[in-house]
Amino acid sequence: MSQPSPHERRGELEEQFVGYLDGELDAPNAHRVEEALAADPHVREEVWKLEQTWEMLDELPRTQVDESFTRSTVEMIAVRAEQELAQAAQLIPQRRRNAWLLSGTVVACAAIAGFLSVLVMEQRADERLLRDLPVIENFEQYREVGDIEFLRLLRERGFAQAEVKHGN
Amino acid sequence: MAQSDNAAESFELRDPDVRLMLEVRDDNAAAFEELMLRYQNRLVTVLEHLVSSRDQAEDLAQEVFLRVYRSRKRYVPGAKFSTWLFTIANNVAANARRSRSRRREVSLSVSDGSSSGGNQLDQLAQAASGLMPARQLDKAEMRDVVRMAIEGLNDRQRMAVLLSKFEDMSYADIAATMDMSPEAIKSLLSRARLNLKEVLEPYLERGHRPAAE
Repeated sequence: MSQPSPHERRGELEEQFVGYLDGELDAPNAHRVEEALAADPHVREEVWKLEQTWEMLDELPRTQVDESFTRSTVEMIAVRAEQELAQAAQLIPQRRRNAWLLSGTVVACAAIAGFLSVLVMEQRADERLLRDLPVIENFEQYREVGDIEFLRLLRERGFAQAEVKHGN
Repeated sequence: MAQSDNAAESFELRDPDVRLMLEVRDDNAAAFEELMLRYQNRLVTVLEHLVSSRDQAEDLAQEVFLRVYRSRKRYVPGAKFSTWLFTIANNVAANARRSRSRRREVSLSVSDGSSSGGNQLDQLAQAASGLMPARQLDKAEMRDVVRMAIEGLNDRQRMAVLLSKFEDMSYADIAATMDMSPEAIKSLLSRARLNLKEVLEPYLERGHRPAAE
């Protein structure tokens, strides 16, 4: 950590003096400035000049606007407010149109999505029917069997294969 | 969230102008007019010294009040009302200066470009020490000298000085108004006051405009 240069040190001191005059220093810093003021006539002169030149700014005039300023400002704001209301009113039909367009788009999307899901579901149903076709084709014969254990028994003994081949 | 609600309530309790602004938010036109009456002179004063033109200051003040009115529905007390108002004023003045400097750039680009460079404060100090007769300054002359000194500050220094001098704002409030840290404001005001001292000191010491060398 390097030491501050004399220029930086002077800048810090001047900030402290201005802060002191503005009542912005905490108690320890204010006390340090007061000690410097008591001990060093150059510091006293410097702070006095800062204070006096600051007070010279009191010579700057304070503006007093006349009644016409207030009136014209209020009128200007009233006119702008009316314009904004009129613009907002003009925008309402467009907003409604936009809302209808949006609703229409949502409904169309929903219809397309619904159609696609029905299509997919139908395809799945067809696929299941195709998968089950051998069973459906032999449904009457399977029903006549009645007991699945009996069928297993036949298969184990080789009858079922021969029967199916024979049936085809 | 609860913290910001507490802050808003705190400003509402402490600052009567915040309460008025909350009435403006509820479309109370009389409250808006009351706020205008309270602040119009203060606002035009700061703006006039900021832009060095009474007419432009009034135009800018109207713009500030218009922005206050337009943003009424979104208003949430987050600072003193004056801090919020002068934040808007600072932004409006900065925009005006930017567009003015753009116009100036255009006009300079078509002129012969023979402007003298150098430090404006040095020029002011020279004007103070060399060009004026040795005699006691009257009030009007003193005003001109002080105005000249203020105009010699850069924009940020000038705004900080005006808020401190005319609005009696703390460093924290100036910092909030100018979107800077209090430490930066301390440093800014220190440099500004040293610059003012440099220009005004000759008048302070002798009470008159120094003689030509």
